[in-house]
Amino acid sequence: MDIAKYRNLFLEEATEHLAEMSRSLLALEKEPELREAIEAVFRAAHSIKSMAASLSYDSIRSLAHRLEDRMERVRSAGRLEDPEDLGLLFRGLEALEQMVAVVRESGEAPPDGDAELLAALSGPAATEPDPKKKAHDPAPVARARR
Amino acid sequence: MKGRVLLADDALFMREMIREIIEPDGFEVIGEASDGIEAVEQFRKLQPDIVTMDIVMPRLSGIDAVEQIVQIDPSAKIVMCSALGQEALVMEALKAGASDFVVKPFKPEDVLGTLAKVLEKADE
Repeated sequence: MDIAKYRNLFLEEATEHLAEMSRSLLALEKEPELREAIEAVFRAAHSIKSMAASLSYDSIRSLAHRLEDRMERVRSAGRLEDPEDLGLLFRGLEALEQMVAVVRESGEAPPDGDAELLAALSGPAATEPDPKKKAHDPAPVARARR
Repeated sequence: MKGRVLLADDALFMREMIREIIEPDGFEVIGEASDGIEAVEQFRKLQPDIVTMDIVMPRLSGIDAVEQIVQIDPSAKIVMCSALGQEALVMEALKAGASDFVVKPFKPEDVLGTLAKVLEKADE
């Protein structure tokens, strides 16, 4: 496999997907039920995950996978219901952008991602009922930041 | 020539990867599609021997594209390209009429083996 060729294709396509993800998250901020935007963020995360897996960029694959899973839950719910979720998705986008920048600048796989962010993305959605959650329990992001 | 292939995937990265695996083995790539609607149109126009079909694509998903292609040609040979964790979607695609599937990241021997197997079954 011509690694340089596929690295360039990855950079080109991942950059487009990240821009689309950014546009769609901004759209969801205004219109949380916007189906096209929900689908676009999901597809972008999915595509970046698949390409990163092919190039053994494990940190990118792992983060994109968490974002994809998070968006799968939003798809099922039919809307992005809580600003905490949106903040978490924007943090995920920013982290992915930084990782792609590392590939662009160094040509190497980025180091492991922010474990706290990965854990927060895997946690329950702020809008999902959590049987263990008490009435005044802070949202997952705030909890993870402690 | 082992077979005429249509590649359907929204990522050029993935289409190139499959092309590099199958062309040296004697398959001919006769067309590419970057979403489900284009895949159906290209299938109708090119009548390939076999299609490799991504599941998650814009405009029309790979599964919906399979349903439409099978309506055009019930004997169409379609290999789904899935990711780990998409087992339920793969089952849905097989029910819709897909012949088989390969999992990303692609292993050349799996891709070649699956395409050959599906085409062999078609000849039986």
